[in-house]
Amino acid sequence: MSLIPGLGLARGMALTLRRFFEPKVTHLYPEIPAEISPKFRGRLQLLYDEYGTLKCETCFQCAQACPIECIDMGGEDTKGRFAVHWGASETYGERREESALRRSGRTVPDPAYEHFHEIDLAPVDAILDEVDHDPKEMLRILEAIQAAYGCVPVAALKRVSQTTGAWYAMLYGTATYYDHLAVGARDDGGPADVAFLDALDGALTGRSIGDGSAADA
Amino acid sequence: MTALLKTPSAWPRILLPDPEASDPTDLDAAVRAGAFDGLKTAVRAMTPGQIATTVGAAGLRGRGGAGFPTGAKWKAAAAAPGSTKYVVANGYGADPSVQTDRTLLELAPYAVLEGMALAAYAIGAGDAIVAIRADATEAIRRFEAAIAAAEDAGFIGSDVLETGWSLTVTVRPVQGAYMLGEETVLLKALEGKRGQPEQRPPHPSERGLFGRPTVVHNVQTLAAVPWIMRHGAEAYAAIGAKDSPGTILVQLRGPAGGGIAEVPLGTPLKAIVGLTAGGRRANTESDRPIKAVLVGGPSGGFLPTDLLDTPYDYDSLRAVDAHVGSGSIVVADDRACIVDLARLLTRFCADQACGKTIPCRIGTRRLSEVVDRIAVGTPKPTDATLAADLASDIRGSALCDHERLATLPATSAMRYFRAELDDHLLRSTCPAGVCHPIAVAVAGGAHRGA
Ligand SMILES: Cc1cc2nc3c(=O)[nH]c(=O)nc-3n(C[C@H](O)[C@H](O)[C@H](O)COP(=O)(O)O)c2cc1C
Ligand code: SF4
Ligand code: FES
Repeated sequence: MSLIPGLGLARGMALTLRRFFEPKVTHLYPEIPAEISPKFRGRLQLLYDEYGTLKCETCFQCAQACPIECIDMGGEDTKGRFAVHWGASETYGERREESALRRSGRTVPDPAYEHFHEIDLAPVDAILDEVDHDPKEMLRILEAIQAAYGCVPVAALKRVSQTTGAWYAMLYGTATYYDHLAVGARDDGGPADVAFLDALDGALTGRSIGDGSAADA
Repeated sequence: MTALLKTPSAWPRILLPDPEASDPTDLDAAVRAGAFDGLKTAVRAMTPGQIATTVGAAGLRGRGGAGFPTGAKWKAAAAAPGSTKYVVANGYGADPSVQTDRTLLELAPYAVLEGMALAAYAIGAGDAIVAIRADATEAIRRFEAAIAAAEDAGFIGSDVLETGWSLTVTVRPVQGAYMLGEETVLLKALEGKRGQPEQRPPHPSERGLFGRPTVVHNVQTLAAVPWIMRHGAEAYAAIGAKDSPGTILVQLRGPAGGGIAEVPLGTPLKAIVGLTAGGRRANTESDRPIKAVLVGGPSGGFLPTDLLDTPYDYDSLRAVDAHVGSGSIVVADDRACIVDLARLLTRFCADQACGKTIPCRIGTRRLSEVVDRIAVGTPKPTDATLAADLASDIRGSALCDHERLATLPATSAMRYFRAELDDHLLRSTCPAGVCHPIAVAVAGGAHRGA
């Protein structure tokens, strides 16, 4: 409490006034990088649009850019489309002990994330043996897995990642890039194209797809 | 690969080989059948300008959907300043229900390749890129084999046919959403940028790939060029409709089966729909009466049966609120509800819209919501007017063709199926017993999911 009544208020107003007349600048981020304190620990958050759809396109730009590999993909979004997984809800201050691969499989309290299903990995191992665990044969491996399981299960991706040493994010990116590869269970609707065709055929034969419409596609 | 439908023997086959070659990548067999004859004549005896004039005289129009005159595009690109120019073959095939472009790439790789070479020669380009959907692995494999064989034989590569002109052809597998098929989006993708359209003009023929003059063509457009060079412009102009000569690949889908067919432009829709009659016998469901035909793909227009005499060509279809689009023709019988279909398509178009502009991001979404409300029997009193107004606003302020067309399913349904719409709108009933939840009260039709 100051001795002169109102001094605190006047000081506050003085600051406001000073700020008011300071020149205002809009920095053209990203051309002009924002200055961020070295101690900044921003919270990573996936944003949803006004329809409740995840905005993330799983383009992996963030995962590839992240120097400490705390961002990775491995769940399912609200549309059942992509598997998105934020490594942790906070950016890490230091590199964690576990490998990026194993971290990507850990459940986090994200309602959009569902744990992957366990599968019999023997066919994956046989496929991998055939190509000598060569990560350069990625597409061949993934196509063989698709043929064996009717989809590319997340568990299989993880196995491939573990035994070939290929980064899970890269593997996942490759698998989701191709429409003829269906990541996750087959009954999740598959790629958007397939879901649209299913819906179209349904509508043509008089089976409405209900209120969800093509949004579930 | 989707089945090829049998067409009447009077219909010419220009794009698809007849009979089908046992190995489409066999260069010797293709050359015996006339492949690269057109290119030889062109580079030895014609000026680039003459090629563009020939293609213009043949009346060839772009098969990518909009039907822009090909010769005019080439002349613009040839006249554009700059020494680096590109030819881009659009083999993306954006419409998920259509396999025509990848089938063409699989069955006639040399026709597309020769067409690319002719286009490159006509505009003075040294680089040609064919963008193929990444999951069309067979088409990519065959086209790469075709490029390698043609390079060995000296039809492309450095010093084409010993003329000193060089042409590099590359395959670029691309994968993305529906919008990637649009030309400015495709060019962005080839540059490695985010797939959103650009304002036109300037058209790609002035400022295209990496800012250089570029002609972007559907692979069918390019595959027709060697035929024109071999048989002459008059022969081509004599086929099909007067304003839209030549043939086009269509993809049929419906209760009586489906498949791909090469049809002369200007063929009445009825004759094209009738091509699936072969499948009719096998399908007991198919004796049901046809209710509507959706022409143009996900952003196509619904046509009622009394418009089935409409000739299948660019201008006639536009006049009745449909379009050639992706070459898709979907037949709906009386089991389908037009409002339900319109809802599905409008939703698809809204989901696929890139979001760059406000009519794209918000307009298509609001339109989809209005159609949704109508379908489920909870419309607002003003919804019919709102939908019509909104559609015309979206069309009027659209940046790209997708938005201009995305309103077609809804507006064509309102135009031709007013009675069915009114049942939903005014009486909250669905005559086909499809729409959910109002169908429960009406017909208790079979629902998938809930
Ligand atoms: C949403 C949208 C999707 C399109 N998809 C394709 C496509 O998959 N393949 C194609 O050749 N053209 C497509 N087009 C048309 C192209 O923008 C472009 O007009 C065409 O490639 C030009 O070739 P053309 O002169 O041979 O028609 C699409 C257009 C729009 C608006
Ligand atoms: S993957 Fe990362 S950068 Fe890409 S859209 Fe999602 S959050 Fe953004
Ligand atoms: S789809 Fe986004 S601007 Fe056209």
